[in-house]
Amino acid sequence: MALRYRSIFIGFGLALMAMCASTAAPAAVPSLLDKDAPDFVLKGLDGRNLRLSEFRGQVVLLNFWARWAGDSRKEMPALDRINTTYARAGLVVLGVSVDDDERRAGEFAGSMHLSYPILFDTDETVGRDYAVQKMPMTILVDRAGVVRYQNVGFKRGDEDAYLDKLRELLRE
Amino acid sequence: MNSKNRLVWVTWRAGLLACAWAAASLTAGAQAPAPAPAAAAPGATSAAAAPTATAATATAPAAATAEPPPPSVPAPAAEAPGTNGDVRSLDQEVQGAKKDVIDLNKDLFVLEEELLFPANTQVAVFVSMDVGTFFALDSITIKIDNKEVANYLYTAREADALLKGGVHRIYLGNQKVGKHELVAFFTGKGPAERDYRRGATLEFDKGVGAKYLELKITDKVPKHQPEFSVKDWE
Repeated sequence: MALRYRSIFIGFGLALMAMCASTAAPAAVPSLLDKDAPDFVLKGLDGRNLRLSEFRGQVVLLNFWARWAGDSRKEMPALDRINTTYARAGLVVLGVSVDDDERRAGEFAGSMHLSYPILFDTDETVGRDYAVQKMPMTILVDRAGVVRYQNVGFKRGDEDAYLDKLRELLRE
Repeated sequence: MNSKNRLVWVTWRAGLLACAWAAASLTAGAQAPAPAPAAAAPGATSAAAAPTATAATATAPAAATAEPPPPSVPAPAAEAPGTNGDVRSLDQEVQGAKKDVIDLNKDLFVLEEELLFPANTQVAVFVSMDVGTFFALDSITIKIDNKEVANYLYTAREADALLKGGVHRIYLGNQKVGKHELVAFFTGKGPAERDYRRGATLEFDKGVGAKYLELKITDKVPKHQPEFSVKDWE
């Protein structure tokens, strides 16, 4: 009888371990936190080319977005407000579109009347460097070019978290 | 002496000892502030004399400010030159260390290039710009033997640097000895802000030594047009 209970207990333990392993595997997303932000140069909506490393000395908020992601549409007005408030304090907001269709992404961004530059990563090389897996993704890069904050997706209240962190970075 | 008298005697002596200890501690407390600054001041000067002790130099002014020295002790202003000298020497040491790091980095960079791109297969392509009134550079794509080897987007700052005489190494790679064809495509804004895309071709012979090629953008004033050329640096 005791042997039976023991085998049931061991079986349950193994099943639990397997379940933990299967749930832990997808969570292992490579994080760029506290690492140098990969440099890139991309063409902007206004035709200018912008290079990330040229903003060294300023705090950069990088927002990867896509036209088809509903959360991106919700997040962009919030980022626009942040940009208008903190641009004078040394903040640079860069929106990076990962849409395949540059023309349609440009039209969409134009309709949003954003005050910050929109860049096009049509071949998704920059998205790969930053391990973008879900839209939108927001990254804060400090004055030394190091990634200090990363947020995937957007929900109500995330804007406040961005503000807290970027105020801290602007004070540094 | 009976036990009662003995107890009184012991208690009385204990009281006397307690009074003596209290008096001694009071006297010591009254005398303590006088030697304290005198002890702090030599500490400060010795710390100032130490050449590289950052912690000591940091604590020396703090000690001087926390307990003001008596009139006989030199004022902190008199110690300032020594502290400044320390800071200066520390700064020099930091600058020296920085220079060493930069030199080491340069040596490593040269070594890495020599290993990755040996001279017998090395081909380097440089970009230069002269005047640039009729052309605002946006990007350059380079193909060698019909294979794209470089595609570079220029930011406004980089284009400005080229206009000021800067030279940009756009490509460094390995090519076999023999004949090769290089095609460069220049994209940007031409006269009257029109989109401009032009190509330039060069057939070059790769010898045993390193090969250096230059893409040159110049203004053709009589025609009011930009000119693109590929030059072989012999």
